[in-house]
Amino acid sequence: MKKKNIIQNGLLTKLLRSLSLYGLALLIAFGLISVIIALLGFSVPDALKTLITTSFKSAFGFQETIKKTIPLIFTTYAFTIPFMIKFFNIGAWGQMLFGGTAVAAVGLLIGNFGLPSFIMIPLLVVVGILAGALWGWFAGFLKAKYDINPIISTIMLNFVAVLFVNFIATSPTFKDPLEGHPITRPLPSSAILGFFHKIPYSIIFAILAIIFVYILLKKTKLGYEITSVGYNLHAAQTYGINFQRTIMLTFLLGGALAGLGGALEVMNIHGKLIEGFAKTSGAQYGVFGILTSLVVAGSPTGVPVAAFFMAVLLVGADALQRTMQIPVEMVFLSQALIVLLIVIIRKKFEPNGGK
Amino acid sequence: MENKNLVELKNIRKVFGKVIALDNVTFTAAKGEIHGLLGENGAGKSTLMNILYGLYSPNKGEIYIDGKKVRIDSPFDSIKIGIGMVHQISTLVPEFNAVENIILGTPKDKFKLPIKEERRKVKKIMEELGLTFPLDVKTKELPAGVKQKIEIIRALHKGAKLLILDEPTTSLVESEFRQLLKSLRALVKKGVTVIFITHKIKEIMESCDSVTVLRRGKVQDTIDKEQMTKEKLVKLMFMEKDIKVTESALPKVELPAIKRSKKPVCIVKNIEVKGKEKSKGLKNISFEVYGGEIFGVASVSGNGEKELASAMINPSLLSNGDILVNGESIKHLSTLSVFNKGVAYTPEDRIKEGILNDGSIKENVLLGHHTEKRFLEKNLFINWNEATKAARKTIKDYNVATPSEELAIRRLSGGNIQKVIMGRAFVSPTDLLITHNPTSGLDVLTVEFIFNKLVETRNNGGAVLCINEDLDELMIISDRIAVLHNGELKGIFQRSEFNKYKIGLLMIGG
Repeated sequence: MKKKNIIQNGLLTKLLRSLSLYGLALLIAFGLISVIIALLGFSVPDALKTLITTSFKSAFGFQETIKKTIPLIFTTYAFTIPFMIKFFNIGAWGQMLFGGTAVAAVGLLIGNFGLPSFIMIPLLVVVGILAGALWGWFAGFLKAKYDINPIISTIMLNFVAVLFVNFIATSPTFKDPLEGHPITRPLPSSAILGFFHKIPYSIIFAILAIIFVYILLKKTKLGYEITSVGYNLHAAQTYGINFQRTIMLTFLLGGALAGLGGALEVMNIHGKLIEGFAKTSGAQYGVFGILTSLVVAGSPTGVPVAAFFMAVLLVGADALQRTMQIPVEMVFLSQALIVLLIVIIRKKFEPNGGK
Repeated sequence: MENKNLVELKNIRKVFGKVIALDNVTFTAAKGEIHGLLGENGAGKSTLMNILYGLYSPNKGEIYIDGKKVRIDSPFDSIKIGIGMVHQISTLVPEFNAVENIILGTPKDKFKLPIKEERRKVKKIMEELGLTFPLDVKTKELPAGVKQKIEIIRALHKGAKLLILDEPTTSLVESEFRQLLKSLRALVKKGVTVIFITHKIKEIMESCDSVTVLRRGKVQDTIDKEQMTKEKLVKLMFMEKDIKVTESALPKVELPAIKRSKKPVCIVKNIEVKGKEKSKGLKNISFEVYGGEIFGVASVSGNGEKELASAMINPSLLSNGDILVNGESIKHLSTLSVFNKGVAYTPEDRIKEGILNDGSIKENVLLGHHTEKRFLEKNLFINWNEATKAARKTIKDYNVATPSEELAIRRLSGGNIQKVIMGRAFVSPTDLLITHNPTSGLDVLTVEFIFNKLVETRNNGGAVLCINEDLDELMIISDRIAVLHNGELKGIFQRSEFNKYKIGLLMIGG
């Protein structure tokens, strides 16, 4: 009994310590941001208020934040899971696009069959997961079989996925003839996920994904094997864990989650495949997924909170630009400062770089 | 007046968190001597020397060199004063050759690398000490003994008059140790002082002019060569416990006469393994291990022992031959399936291959067992309750010093880590234990504990295959010893035929 108390106290101090470090990093970051805003000639209190409180001031702000949190959770996991065994999946972007595009294409092809929602939606979700999984697995396969660095293969696969978006969005089979831009026809209504008080239903899938990842990593054999390889590859191999298989599975899982994120964007937010999906949301969530993961040092349990925090910043930054005409570069600058400072402070003060 | 002490550390105190690592330690080493620093793991030897070298700063205390009080804040300061340290783990740049490594950080000219001049200087130092090693080979391709020589020369090249060696013999075989000793003697003659950190009494007796014994952060005594006896040193090191030691200062264990099993537990039939890099692999090896015996394999590092250990648990490495466990061939099995046949393994390099460093003791105990029925529900979920039970049992049975099974294993001492690895081997019923250098780098008490566990396994009818480069140890615990040299078996000896000279000669190919 007594022993347990000591351990719990240890955890509590660790948590407090970690929170205070994040607090310190944010304090310094916001300090620097204030200086830059002041130098640019804007009102510092107004700007900071906008950046931090937009998400919580109005129902609209909060809804926007949730809308951004959901895809970020998926792309952050897509980076985090392979990162647990020290591999960089730069391909969440492409995996997300590939999932979304596959869903749009399949959804339009079977759209005329008149399938009801309760078949159509699960079917398309599975299509998105499989497409993303395939895209992720391929990078893992290249590493396992031919020792090709996943950084290279995932970046290349991103480009292929972008072209695939263009291909589907411009192909006569799918393109909306009424639109000037490359955009597909809208998906049939049976394939569309709706909103509940303007909160997208895709949030249910995000929550399921959080539970799934938690159980997978903490409770299953595969999760134990991934964790073991992450701790020490040599020991895990010596004691019989198949490294090649583990690489492929982590990329497959990461890809599957990113693919699901892409599918949900198409089915819930856009309702069709827009060429711009590749550049705006896809690229944004792909890159910010990596940053979000690094902010929590690749710890899977921290992902949902970090993704929400990042979404708050993204929404606040949009508002800065819209309401105060602060240039968009300033927005990127503040995000970069925050991420950098969190990483620096953690490296500096936490033993083992926050692990 | 000339000061006869080169180094004086006065009243050094060092605290890590709540642990007092060094408590009011006073230490002196005279000019031109080899001064031993003896103590079991965690006694504070390395901490004390790391303070002298500037890696740690003490909470209290003073350092005098040549009678002058000095302040050492970093290795930069200590190198300037003439202190050199060779650490337990190689700090050479693997991609550089010997000369490049030795001159690293010394040239004053920012733009020119005077490699020819430096090379000449390095050669001169080597000649003076009677050391030879290749200067143009990348150090990653050299054996541990040679790397250590390079590190010593590097310290001298930087002008060291005091050389600290932290556990220098961990990766050396007997002949290399002899050679090291000769070089150190040559150094001392030139007036260099050597501090020799070790936990092996035998090495102190053979090499040191005087010795300081540390126990739990306190100095027990400093004694000169004339007064050194094995019994005295053991007493100083352990105080409260009387342990019996052999001639080579290793713990004594009894091997009661028992009947070994009629059928062998393990049959190794004409196996061949292709060697990696410089190793020649294994050629046509055959032997049998019976239940109720400890079968030792003596081998100088690099003669195929690594391949033998790996092939036993990963038969896919076999290019020829077969291995049978309890009469069944394991040739086509994966490592996990081999474990499930009742084979257990403890690897040679406990940190690199033995443990999940950041993982908890619980996660570590589970490693390799995680596909067994007991720990796996519905073929999918890990049964963490069972894992906790197994970890707690290991901690209890193996006296692992830890507050809880949740502690990260890297926070344990080397001895406790080895106990966890050994405990893991017995989490499930084990018919055949394959253990590779199970005691390297451990203090006498832990060695005694490990020996007893191996003998206990044997007495209970288990088969133990112990691959070891330390012949002294094998002669204590083995029923039979096979000698492996150049990938071939050079004979198998019964306990009654054990002869250190004869077996040792075979080990080096004589």
